[in-house]
Amino acid sequence: MEHKILEIRAAYKSEINQAASLKQLDEVRIKFLSRNGSVSALFEEMKTLTKEQKPLAGKELNALRNFCESLFIAKKEEIEAQSSIVAPKIDLSLPGVNYPVGSRHILTRTLDEIKSIFKSYGFSVSGGPELESDFNNFEALNFQADHPARDMQDTFFVTKDFLLRTHTSPVQIRLMQNNKPPIRAIMPGKVYRNEAVSSRSYCLFHQVEGLYVDKHVTFAELKGTLVAFAKEFYGSNLKYRFRPSYFPFTEPSAEMDITCFICGGKGCRVCKNSGWLEVLGCGMVDPNVFVKIGYDPEEITGYAFGMGIERTAMLKYGITDIRTFFDNDIRFLNQFK
Amino acid sequence: MIISVQWLKNYIDISDIDIDTLCRSLIMAGLEVEEITSQDAIYKHIVIGYVEEKIKHPNANKLSLCTVFDGKERRKVVCGAPNVEAGQVIVLALPGAIIPDGKFEIKIAKIRGEESSGMICSRKELGLSDDHSGIWVLPGDTKIGISLAEYLEKTDTVLEIGITPNRPDALSHIGVARDVAALFNKELLKPQLKAAASGNEIDSHITIEIEDAVNCPRYSAKVVKDVTVGDSPKWLKRAIESIGLRSINNVVDVTNFILHETGQPLHAFDLDKISGNKIVVKQAESGSNFVTLDSKSRDLDNQCLMIRDAEKAVAIGGIMGGENSEITRDTKNILIESAYFNPSSIRRSAKKLGISSDASYRFERGVDYENTLYSAERAAELIAEVAGGKIVSGCIDIYPNPIPDKIVTLRFARVQSILGYPIDAKQITEILRNLGMSWIEAAADSVTVSIPGFRPDIEREIDLIEEIARIYGYDNIPPIQAMTLPLIPIFDETAILDVIRGFWSGIGFNEIISNSLQRTKIEEEKPKAIATLNPQSADMVDLRTSLLPGLLTTIAKNISVGEKNLRFYEIGKIFIKKNPVIASFDDFDEKHILGVAITGLAGEKQWYSKESAFNFFDLKGVIKAFLSKISLDNLSNDCYNHNGNYLFSYLFSRFVNSQLLFTGGKVRKEVLSLYNIEQDVFYAEFNIEKIEQGTPVQKKFKEPLKYPRITRDAAFVVEKEIESEAIIELVQKQNLKFCKAMHLFDLFENDSIGETKKSLAYSIEFYDETKTLTDAEVEEEFIQIIGLIKAAFAAELRG
Ligand SMILES: [Zn+2]
Repeated sequence: MEHKILEIRAAYKSEINQAASLKQLDEVRIKFLSRNGSVSALFEEMKTLTKEQKPLAGKELNALRNFCESLFIAKKEEIEAQSSIVAPKIDLSLPGVNYPVGSRHILTRTLDEIKSIFKSYGFSVSGGPELESDFNNFEALNFQADHPARDMQDTFFVTKDFLLRTHTSPVQIRLMQNNKPPIRAIMPGKVYRNEAVSSRSYCLFHQVEGLYVDKHVTFAELKGTLVAFAKEFYGSNLKYRFRPSYFPFTEPSAEMDITCFICGGKGCRVCKNSGWLEVLGCGMVDPNVFVKIGYDPEEITGYAFGMGIERTAMLKYGITDIRTFFDNDIRFLNQFK
Repeated sequence: MIISVQWLKNYIDISDIDIDTLCRSLIMAGLEVEEITSQDAIYKHIVIGYVEEKIKHPNANKLSLCTVFDGKERRKVVCGAPNVEAGQVIVLALPGAIIPDGKFEIKIAKIRGEESSGMICSRKELGLSDDHSGIWVLPGDTKIGISLAEYLEKTDTVLEIGITPNRPDALSHIGVARDVAALFNKELLKPQLKAAASGNEIDSHITIEIEDAVNCPRYSAKVVKDVTVGDSPKWLKRAIESIGLRSINNVVDVTNFILHETGQPLHAFDLDKISGNKIVVKQAESGSNFVTLDSKSRDLDNQCLMIRDAEKAVAIGGIMGGENSEITRDTKNILIESAYFNPSSIRRSAKKLGISSDASYRFERGVDYENTLYSAERAAELIAEVAGGKIVSGCIDIYPNPIPDKIVTLRFARVQSILGYPIDAKQITEILRNLGMSWIEAAADSVTVSIPGFRPDIEREIDLIEEIARIYGYDNIPPIQAMTLPLIPIFDETAILDVIRGFWSGIGFNEIISNSLQRTKIEEEKPKAIATLNPQSADMVDLRTSLLPGLLTTIAKNISVGEKNLRFYEIGKIFIKKNPVIASFDDFDEKHILGVAITGLAGEKQWYSKESAFNFFDLKGVIKAFLSKISLDNLSNDCYNHNGNYLFSYLFSRFVNSQLLFTGGKVRKEVLSLYNIEQDVFYAEFNIEKIEQGTPVQKKFKEPLKYPRITRDAAFVVEKEIESEAIIELVQKQNLKFCKAMHLFDLFENDSIGETKKSLAYSIEFYDETKTLTDAEVEEEFIQIIGLIKAAFAAELRG
């Protein structure tokens, strides 16, 4: 019995291998696996064995049948696949029908990325006008008239009292005027600076600012939030530092630097050999701002931060000329789908 | 601002701190060191050499061939200077050196066939003077082989520090030293004045009167007589030059030295040019003018504060002195002015006059009003030291309304509630002391201090907290690893923009972002445009009134680089003037707009299709899909305008709740030609606010149809003027029981059906939501519809 099984197994294997068409394959199947096939004959023969021999033989026969069937299926698939290569009905290599692929502007994409991180931290998203009053853009934010701090942001004026906002901070004012704490939101949008157009500056750019105002908001929490953001956005291995800076509407004010990811901190042209890249400005909301809004600064504290999208995208994607964003050359736009 | 490290060492012992540590600490305290320059860097590879031999260049008459010993080896150097001779000690630039004047690199080169491996330099080439008469010949006893930097004693390191507008106190060497002292807990060494001679001789030389005490709260002065104006001694010259200034003469150099030492701007007058022994501080007369030190005539208004003598103006207070009283080589007697001017007054005048001087820069940020007399006396001492002369006894110090002391109380607990981290009370008090605060009162949980005059930025408790955090080190405050999350509803006002972008980018359009500042070219848009008062250029004067110009500019730019088939959209604000004068937010509209433009080919020629150009129906179709996406497709119908307007040759639009949702059409050739575009452009503009208002808050589920739809086709021959949609609308209006939809599937025009006729074929759909329709039910309505159309449009049923 054992001998016969081995014999049939070998014979089946060789015949299956020789089969070149579905028809030949089927002939092999009939010869071995049909009711009158040689495998079935062995099952008949098993009935003649002794009670002790039967279980072992049955097991081996079943294994033989499974082997034959799986070999048959594999071979069948092989023949089918080959036959379609051999005899094409249509030229499948012809190009497919064109479908245009659009793109979001790289600044939008960068902004979307920042937005989704802060939304996951429980920040809302708020917008506001670009043509603003001097009060909302400067005065309410603790920029005094005739103070050199105003020189920090060259301004396009429309009248003495109306201007193109120089930062999205006026949206902070609007949010606080219209809501009670807690307020937790980011404010993306276009801002304008009256600077000569060059590879490094444009008359407008995009900013995202954030604001969190509540009881017990602290500088340590500001740091924690921004570090978490930077690690998610720029990479978890980055090193960072916060250094003192000055914005009239925050105190203490800080700038956050991260290790230059172009040179790894060794110093290069992009980081001006410092090894650090300035990525955002931040600070605790100045009590004067709260007073202007009508909040009690003894009770309420808050933090604010802001970053430029163009600068962020330039760093992240290695774009060296800010005008590239506004030229909208389709060969550029199509690089970022 | 430039700080010389060598100079800084006069006020603080930093021998145990290396430059890198110093700079890092300054940066982390808010004094951003932007550049570190070693003075010797510009003299790299420039050494003192000795000319051993000079022969004529074999191939050039005016050149010599020298053998120069550079301390290590002998080099052949070709030299063109007429004054070079053997035996001279000279300055030799070796290969690799960058010549300071001209910034070119010295390389080994053949000059007229002779190799030259260096260059003998003139003072001008070294950037040391304008003298280019020949090479610089040094004294014969100068050591050969030392570097030029060593010879010039230029071994200092110079820091360029960016100072934020709130920190005028740091605009001097003592100011920076004070921060270093606080950072490293060291002692600040402020130069002590010598004991002054008693007496009041000064009163016989000058009287000073302040007429405008609001803008000039304090005026201190000293007089030094019998000075000899001349070159500055080496130490003073070096200090002045180390921070990038030019040494002028010993007296002017001292005033500049004090400015950069203490931060107090001084002005030195030639006392003998002051008429009537009198100085008066008062406003200028409008319309008068004044010639400043730089020989420019300045037009004044009555906001400018002037320093006058008995007859004439002698300086613009705090901004710049006058030519008529300046120190010259003949000056004998000197009046030193050390004043405190009102910061905003100086800022206004400096802006008005277009002058930003070292003095005005500091005055407009606020100088130390407690320090004026000290600086005047220190200047007098230094002038007497470097220019001879005698300090006249007594001083003048007019300070009619002393600025009150600023007293601030700091609660230790508040430091923690702002920073979120406890800082030890002992450390807090140490920091405040090192920064120059003086003690008024100390309690267990708070401290009350008086703020020194050099810190105009500190007025409140929060300002002290910032100082503590700054010196303690922001990086020493650990970030909190968890955040408190207020459980308030989160909103996203930009969510609709994501939907819009998702649709247009998804369907193959490229998003662009164009400049919102532009020159309005389309005549009819001009009255709507709001102009900026101070544009960067004539091309960026107006705020855009439409997104079309930005899209057309972009299209033109892309066509010029060979990209002609374009699908663009932009989301942005436009600004429409409503009233001639913008005095409030009611005088203009700022609208959020979506602009869409297509141009060129919809599809290039392919193996499966012919080339097809974009046309009106591409625009109409994609808009229909968009309206469906934002659920605004069934609220109202399109309106058509065959005559167009100044933007469009023809157009269509749609209103939702009687408010314009969009306008779109074929852009006029006249408009395109303003942007040099020759191919057709189809453009539509959506009002995003109306998209948001129109979109239903929530859609209700509708059971899909369970019974079959039956369609019947019918073609009608009608006059060409008849609009396809009119026929559909007519049928819709009947509100038939089973006829639920009708759409055009074929348009046929041919002389065989008549020159003025067209055939419109419709597929008409019938169903009922509650049962399967019988043929008879469908047939009845179908015949009714045919009859209706025939009658209303004089139509004939075709085929
Ligand atoms: Zn770098």
